[in-house]
Amino acid sequence: MIHFSKVSLIYPNSQRTIIEDVSFEVNEGEFVLLIGHTGAGKSSVLRLINGLVPHHTGGILSGSISVAGRSTATLKPGELADVVGIVGQNPANTFVSDIVEDEIAFSLETLGIAPEVMRKRVEEVLDLLALTALRRKNISELSGGEQQRVAIAAALVTNPKVLLLDEPTSALDPIAAEEVLSILHRLVHDLGLTVVLSEHRLERVIQFVDRIILIHGDGSLALGTAEEVMRSSPIAPPLVELARALKMPTIPLSIREFRKLAPKIEVADNPEIIDSISTGEVLLSINELSAAYQDSQGAYALSKINLEIRAGEIVALMGRNGAGKTTLLKCAVGLAPITSGSVRVSGNNPAALEGPELIRNVGYVPQEPTDLLYGQSILEECALADKDNKVAEGSTLAIYKSLMQIPDLNSHPRDVSEGQRLGLALSIILSAQPPLIVLDEPTRGLDYQAKKTLIQVLKGVAKKEGRAVLISTHDVELVAEVADRVIFLADGELIADGSTSQVLNASPAFAPQVAKALPHTNWTTVNEAERYLNAEK
Amino acid sequence: MKTAHIQRLGFHPLFWWVWAVLTSGVVLVLDKTEISLAAIASCLLLASRFKSSTYWRSSFKWILRLALIAFAFRMLIGFTIGVPMPGQVVFTLPQIQLPELLVGIRLGGPVTEQRLLLTLNEAALLAALILIFALANSLSNPHSLLKVLPRRFYGIGLASVIATSVAPQAARSISRVKAAKRLRGQSGSGLQSWKRIALPVLEDSLERSIDLAASLESRGYGYFPNTTRYRAPSWKMRDSLGVSGPAYLLIAIFIAGSISPWLIGALFLFLTLTPVVA
Repeated sequence: MIHFSKVSLIYPNSQRTIIEDVSFEVNEGEFVLLIGHTGAGKSSVLRLINGLVPHHTGGILSGSISVAGRSTATLKPGELADVVGIVGQNPANTFVSDIVEDEIAFSLETLGIAPEVMRKRVEEVLDLLALTALRRKNISELSGGEQQRVAIAAALVTNPKVLLLDEPTSALDPIAAEEVLSILHRLVHDLGLTVVLSEHRLERVIQFVDRIILIHGDGSLALGTAEEVMRSSPIAPPLVELARALKMPTIPLSIREFRKLAPKIEVADNPEIIDSISTGEVLLSINELSAAYQDSQGAYALSKINLEIRAGEIVALMGRNGAGKTTLLKCAVGLAPITSGSVRVSGNNPAALEGPELIRNVGYVPQEPTDLLYGQSILEECALADKDNKVAEGSTLAIYKSLMQIPDLNSHPRDVSEGQRLGLALSIILSAQPPLIVLDEPTRGLDYQAKKTLIQVLKGVAKKEGRAVLISTHDVELVAEVADRVIFLADGELIADGSTSQVLNASPAFAPQVAKALPHTNWTTVNEAERYLNAEK
Repeated sequence: MKTAHIQRLGFHPLFWWVWAVLTSGVVLVLDKTEISLAAIASCLLLASRFKSSTYWRSSFKWILRLALIAFAFRMLIGFTIGVPMPGQVVFTLPQIQLPELLVGIRLGGPVTEQRLLLTLNEAALLAALILIFALANSLSNPHSLLKVLPRRFYGIGLASVIATSVAPQAARSISRVKAAKRLRGQSGSGLQSWKRIALPVLEDSLERSIDLAASLESRGYGYFPNTTRYRAPSWKMRDSLGVSGPAYLLIAIFIAGSISPWLIGALFLFLTLTPVVA
């Protein structure tokens, strides 16, 4: 179906080749996963398949690529629209209509499909993606998961032979992600659709895929069945790492397989869960908070939230898309209006704090860290932060250097990887030394390596005297690794507040892989398992 | 109640653009200060009448500021630069002596009544035109043009969509970037701070436009000779009714020639508000 023959790709003004002399084939009806570190070229390879690279983005391509027997060298992406459908990273940016139904029909209109046929196809695809109830809704009122489904429907409605998806679950909560992936799984099995998708959160997708393409980032790539690649891949989900730690002969890809294959692990003394209630100073106190808040994405509400965060804690805020997580964070930093109740950050009302006073009390890293950046280079950005935060020259850069390996100081903040950009935004916040750090969805687009760095950084921050961290995230594995306490929001109400293992393990959808795989051990992370196994020896 | 009703029904994607062209036609043909001021008033009235929470709607308030700046700037230029004009002197600005070469042009100096009125006329016309098109831009979904423009030409469709979505998208980014600026502990306003807002906003809009172009391209927009319609947006009675006011006005002017400007101004204000009735 997809045929790469001796393909090399290099972007102008870049020293690195994305791929070099690569040949592979994807068969009809295969479900293929593209993995690689951020910036390795996953999106580029994906977009090579329908010709967006190089026709749309530029780049020097050699070798030949063909899809369903058509070569992308001579055909533009538009001319392949009837055989390849693509769903981009930010579906919201790609919609052209207000109404769900019209958006789906748009792809058919451009292809000139007869209206009667069009009606039928739209109807079919609405059913297929369970969108019938939403057909007349305004797209901007839909949740992230629903928007993702609309984008998939719009790509599928033309009956393409190949569907390409770029990180389809990165913005979704675990339940919405599960929905999208099971739909893809069904399409592959029932309709013989060929699906190629790129994803960082392997724990969500790996059980569904047939083969994996691992992009090393040095121009080469590895291709094999999911199990083959997982045996040695530097990028692996917690379940695979657990299997490696247990030295299992076959690598299981799903929880079910793991339980079938796993050796008996006797945990001698089941460690009692000790609720380590922090006794530090109260840094954030939210009292009977209610808020109604409306922006371009929709309307949100919070009702009667009570919450206290003390120094020394790392608290994770979880919940489904649209549950009010971002609104709660915005209230905590005084960005969203409050209807009733109170918010106090170190005793101050954040909405009343002016200028540098705010960042000295609470630092907020928004969902798009780029919003915080406006310098032309990393060096300039750090210098600006030193000046804004009135700290000694070079201190922001020093913090950045201590957090992670930093890129070339003269590169533009938009050109560095997502992890490095997040690190930069975090360093700017940290240089003002606020006692409370708030992060909104920090792991979106981060690979496992960047996530590990982030975990270390956050743990380091919370360890410092009198600091606390509040993170809102869908990433259960991150929460299991880093958080002491989890708060669960549903529909604007706080429904659970407790220690990480208590809250996570109680919910089947939000439990981390290790907890699901070894439910009797009370472990939530691979680290815990490794520590135990090493102690056994 | 009625507002919700109107929004749900909605106008044709081109409705506000047709209204804008007709209304600006009237303003340009008459070229009277009173008419320009009436046009500004009707834009403000319509903007407050058709409220919605869609992101493109918020661009109007930003362009309103821009129109005010344009108005002030035009007034300033009109007062200070130009050929001397006869009439009663209203006030006098300090004059700067220009070299012999630029004979007849003065910088500063007396501002006569005629100059004052002429400048006001031009500035009001400028502000009115900006607001008329800003209103059209902020009341129609920028992407809806894709639905009605001929699809044979990828470039035209894309260019018009990007052009009409610049302002709404920028308005959306501005609020986000301003919030982020506050988070970084900056409270000041001024040129420096605007530079810090402008750059991320521009980058943001560019990124969105590129995403949209890629999406259109990969969905085959402009590549297939015959396109069909799922549910063609039809020009309904209420669309015609909505634009009838400025249309009849334009015809009436051509037939009648000159009438008292104040009378026309009142008529204008009344007739450009037909979208409210429709």
